[in-house]
Amino acid sequence: MSMAIHPEFPLPDVDDPVMRPFWEGARRHQLLQQRDRLTGALHWPPKPLYWKGGERLEWIEVAGRGEVYTYVVGHEPFLPAFQDRLPHIMVVIQLDEGARIVGYMQNCTPEQMAFGMRVRVAFEDLTERVTLPIWEPDA
Amino acid sequence: MSATIDADLFRRIQDRVAIVGIGHLPFAKDIGRPISDTAVEAIQLALDDAGLEAEDVDGMCMFEMESTHEVSIARRLGVDGLRWWSKISYGGGAAAATIMQAAAAIATGLASTVVCHRARNRGSAASRPWAKEKEIVRDDKALHTPWGLIRPVDVIGMWAHRHMHEYGTTREHFGNVAIAARKHAHANPYAMMRGRPLDMETYLAGRVIGYPLHLYDCCLETDGALACVVTSVERARDLRQKMALVHSVAQASGPNPVHLANYNNTPDMVTTSVFCADLLWRRSQLQPKDMKCAQIYDAFTPLVITGLEDYGFCKRGEGGPFTEGGRIELGGELPVLTSGGGLSEAYVHGFNLILEGVRQIRGTSYNQVPECDATLVTGASGVATSAVVLRGE
Repeated sequence: MSMAIHPEFPLPDVDDPVMRPFWEGARRHQLLQQRDRLTGALHWPPKPLYWKGGERLEWIEVAGRGEVYTYVVGHEPFLPAFQDRLPHIMVVIQLDEGARIVGYMQNCTPEQMAFGMRVRVAFEDLTERVTLPIWEPDA
Repeated sequence: MSATIDADLFRRIQDRVAIVGIGHLPFAKDIGRPISDTAVEAIQLALDDAGLEAEDVDGMCMFEMESTHEVSIARRLGVDGLRWWSKISYGGGAAAATIMQAAAAIATGLASTVVCHRARNRGSAASRPWAKEKEIVRDDKALHTPWGLIRPVDVIGMWAHRHMHEYGTTREHFGNVAIAARKHAHANPYAMMRGRPLDMETYLAGRVIGYPLHLYDCCLETDGALACVVTSVERARDLRQKMALVHSVAQASGPNPVHLANYNNTPDMVTTSVFCADLLWRRSQLQPKDMKCAQIYDAFTPLVITGLEDYGFCKRGEGGPFTEGGRIELGGELPVLTSGGGLSEAYVHGFNLILEGVRQIRGTSYNQVPECDATLVTGASGVATSAVVLRGE
């Protein structure tokens, strides 16, 4: 189900030991966040698993809902990999669980964008191994 | 935060170290020479300005982003031998930190005379780091780059847009910054934008790059090479230039930083500069009200507005209105970017702002602020950053 992506698409290192659970979750179309078992606090960006002696951290699936905290709309000159997506709406989403996470929008025009707009997560399968969590209006 | 800063300890540095020489090559879109060559010439010009010889130099501080090496520069320059050197990371955050580390080395006796420099060939569009992004994205960059958020204009645009939403900051406020920088550039014979006037109508008509930021919100990628010479006050007294004393200086990352995109730093998007400003003013006997002008890092116009807030010239959210009525232009309450800055003189990771700070203290700026006895020079918000307060003797 992966689409053909531009050869220069800036794919993430999904084998990064800290981020791997996040990327594996995305591949299953789940949005994961890291939680401190002791305090219940969510950590984003995530901390290494040996943080404070280890064993405190776990990954949980979150609701995948939030609101637009801020956004920019990219125009030329832009990365070659995104040429067919311009104007490209990049967002910082405030998750309902608290973290601010970077993404981009689909099924939305720049004119529809608004601060505080409710959004829900979607998933774009880029390659066999890489799926990006992205966002769309939660109408 | 920083409750343990020991003012007595900082007094080993405060007003005991000075910038005594400055130099730079003419800025250009294509300088036509490698930075291994331009860096050495810029340092030589700074030494000439100070009345010092290469043999006097025993320390060197430069940007980590340089592709040159200390020993190579020292050899070409004719330095007998380095006994202290250091490189500072985070491009736009680094300029004042070179002064801080040089000052610390001098204050502790690890070096006696240090040259700091930035040489950079980035005028060509093909040289921009973000345009080359095609490898697998690792580490912190994986938190934003895969979604296309990599151009600095977009990463900073996120902050700028939120600031507009939260505080009512307008494009006209950003325009005030661009226009002030451009006005100041007209008196500077080295400014890239000298003789190219900018009014609000033209500013507003600039094409969109990353909404809400437009063409004239962006700095000028430039080829340049700049240097300064730092030494002890005792040594400086025997030299030819009026010294620019390092009164306070600080470097800070803030908590949880992600390069440019540390949107999770604090609940209200407090930038790295807030943490740097806190250290800077705690160490300083002078305060924002004592600054006769300020060189606020300006890769993009909104950074000046948040910088004015971060460094305490106005409250959070008031940076936009602060730019109104010519307040940040020569003759105003706080002239900002008196050389034209990164927006209209040259974008060289803010090292030109250090040189302009020194000129203001010497009384030799092309836009001299009368009786300028203290000025602030800052690095970029959003990256691990630095700032310095320079004063006259």
